[in-house]
Amino acid sequence: MTLSHLATEDVFVVERNDADFRAGQGMTKGLGIVFRKFRKALFGKPNSDRADTEGQFNVQYPEERLAMPEAYRNMPILLYDDATGHELCTSCFQCERICPPQVIHITQAKDPATGKPVPAAAKFVLEYDTCMSCGYCAEVCPFDAIKMDHDFELSTANHPELDVDYNRLLRPVSYYETIAPTMWSDVKEQAMKKLQNNIKRRPGDIGRDHGQKIKGGAPVAAAATPAAGAAPAAGAAKPRGPVAAIGKNMSEDKTAKLLAIRAANAAKRGGGAADAAPVAQAAPVAEAVAAAPAAASAAPTGPVAAIGQNMSEDKRAKLEAIRAAKRAERGE
Amino acid sequence: MADALTQLGFASWLSVLIASIIKVTLILVGGSVGMMFLTWYERRSISYMQDRRGPNRVGPQGLLQPISEAIKTMTKEDATPRDADKIVHFLAPVVMLGATVLSFAVIPWGRMFPVDLNAAVLFVIATGGLHSIGMMMAGWGSNNKFALLGGMRGVAQLISYEIPQVMAIIPVVLMTGSMSLQKIVEAQNDFAGLGWYVFSPVGLLGFALFFTASLAEGERTPFDIPEADSEIIAGYMTEYSGMKFAVFYLSNYMSNLAVCFVTATLYLGGGNGPGVDALGGIAGGLLSLVYFLLKSFALFFVMVLIRATVPRLRVDQLMSFAWKFLLPLVLVNILSASFWVALLRWDQQWPQLTEWFGAPSTADATNWGRLAIAIVLTLLINAGAVALIMRLTNRNVQKHLYTTDEELALGLS
Ligand code: SF4
Ligand code: SF4
Repeated sequence: MTLSHLATEDVFVVERNDADFRAGQGMTKGLGIVFRKFRKALFGKPNSDRADTEGQFNVQYPEERLAMPEAYRNMPILLYDDATGHELCTSCFQCERICPPQVIHITQAKDPATGKPVPAAAKFVLEYDTCMSCGYCAEVCPFDAIKMDHDFELSTANHPELDVDYNRLLRPVSYYETIAPTMWSDVKEQAMKKLQNNIKRRPGDIGRDHGQKIKGGAPVAAAATPAAGAAPAAGAAKPRGPVAAIGKNMSEDKTAKLLAIRAANAAKRGGGAADAAPVAQAAPVAEAVAAAPAAASAAPTGPVAAIGQNMSEDKRAKLEAIRAAKRAERGE
Repeated sequence: MADALTQLGFASWLSVLIASIIKVTLILVGGSVGMMFLTWYERRSISYMQDRRGPNRVGPQGLLQPISEAIKTMTKEDATPRDADKIVHFLAPVVMLGATVLSFAVIPWGRMFPVDLNAAVLFVIATGGLHSIGMMMAGWGSNNKFALLGGMRGVAQLISYEIPQVMAIIPVVLMTGSMSLQKIVEAQNDFAGLGWYVFSPVGLLGFALFFTASLAEGERTPFDIPEADSEIIAGYMTEYSGMKFAVFYLSNYMSNLAVCFVTATLYLGGGNGPGVDALGGIAGGLLSLVYFLLKSFALFFVMVLIRATVPRLRVDQLMSFAWKFLLPLVLVNILSASFWVALLRWDQQWPQLTEWFGAPSTADATNWGRLAIAIVLTLLINAGAVALIMRLTNRNVQKHLYTTDEELALGLS
């Protein structure tokens, strides 16, 4: 090995331990380290502190989950006010304009009487498949109407399902408060103030019908769902009660069951002996009938589910029926 | 077993046939089930070494993972390259697996011996040597540069490492006076089943050398040069897919298992252990099987530990390690084994030597005295040799990789 072509200062002399038995020492040490890792990972406590370098780090994902940081962003959602049911979005088109892949599509609501634009969105479609979760839309929205959700389990075999419409984008403010409390409390006051101003400029149900009626106040609500279509009283949509943000990680079955239980409890509390018959007419779906007596009561705080995006069409239809029934009851 | 069947009234040829079929089935089933367990065991333990958990979903603790993988590989397309030598390409995995399964024939499962060959040690080595043929066939038959490189590397490595491996067994054969694995196991049954060769200086060094050389034979990291994925894709297995790949995989793991079994038999007393003789009969046999499997899987754990720790050697490092490090030590170990035998077993093993030279000089001392002398002597020889070789290796490393201060000062570099 010749290094003569190098200047002496170019040669780095590595400090070596010159013990005679050095050969094999490094390997023994390495084996020791690896064995210690093995022992700690197998018998030690699961590692919760990220500053630690040893122990078991794995989170057994479907069963165990890490808490999401508040600012974690996956897909955008739209907020509506729990108390009034009014959506925060005013269809100002800021988000549509800034979205880099242009996946936001908004139709502004019009006053059916005058034909003038109203600060509310009639249609709102977001292509989840192409959204790149940049969060620009949430950043730019002057009304804090569009926010980034934490739900990441959106995979589906049904591609068109990823064009998410207004109905499925909406979440109550209380839901957003649970996933990002400090971020919401920072903007809460001004957002609510702006919302109150906007509500004044929204005639009728525009702005709280969640894009279900577009013209003339006729119920077009979720036309695909027979139950909702059969709900005669749906037009008299009252402000929605506080909405229970049902854990989105819950399976559809569970969600449906939970809803039924809650409705039943509410009925007991209300002590209502209301007639179940009209409800049964309104919701001819078997499950809806089962849940009907509960819905029949005039429970003032009837919980309404934020419908999980992962929910199947059937389930959504059933839930829609229950809701419609409740709305009908309260509407009278 | 054949005798028992004959007594039951079977014709003698029939009883031999039935007994053989039963044995072959047991060997095949035992080998492949052992291999399945081994893949799971390796992946789980290496996962914990890397702060992971490994496969734990399929079946309890992921134990059924190998089955799901077997099904997966069986459903994959079994492709043969267009320009491959079809027959050789097809036969290579068969040869590999055949060689491996053969070596299982003589392995003692605790106290149970499927076949007791009087040259079983030689048989194990010979079947291990067949691997290089399978490798070369795969490398050549695939008509692929990477495969050929892998095959050549594999053959070079196997031939080099077979020498220290075989010579590391010689001390055991010397000390036992037999090449039968059964005799070797019996010879380690002193001291209440704890007279394992590994507890003597000769056996300890022999164990270390044999195990190291066997790692190279089994292409385990750090000697996985024939299939070095980062250099030559998968070496001689590059052009194999589906079931043929699975057969290679099977044969690799089975030969690793066989290496562990053989090492446990030669140096760790096989199925010997405290309580085996005391129990006796079937219970003792089962206990010895448990001991044997425990020892073997502990050895495999060491293999996994080494795999998780040590990076792959370069080809030249591999060769110089075999020829400059292992081989001299192995020779020294044979020397000290001869001293050991001369001191302890002279009059027992080689009566004709006693006739020619008279009784050993320490014949009047008790056996314990002779044992102490033998231990001290062999320990001195072996430790001295290891120290010397390590010192030389150290010098070599420094000379080739680093420039020392003195050399720089003298302008010698
Ligand atoms: S979500 Fe916000 S930015 Fe987008 S249209 Fe509605 S109010 Fe404007
Ligand atoms: S997160 Fe980015 S890509 Fe997705 S909708 Fe908002 S602006 Fe568009």
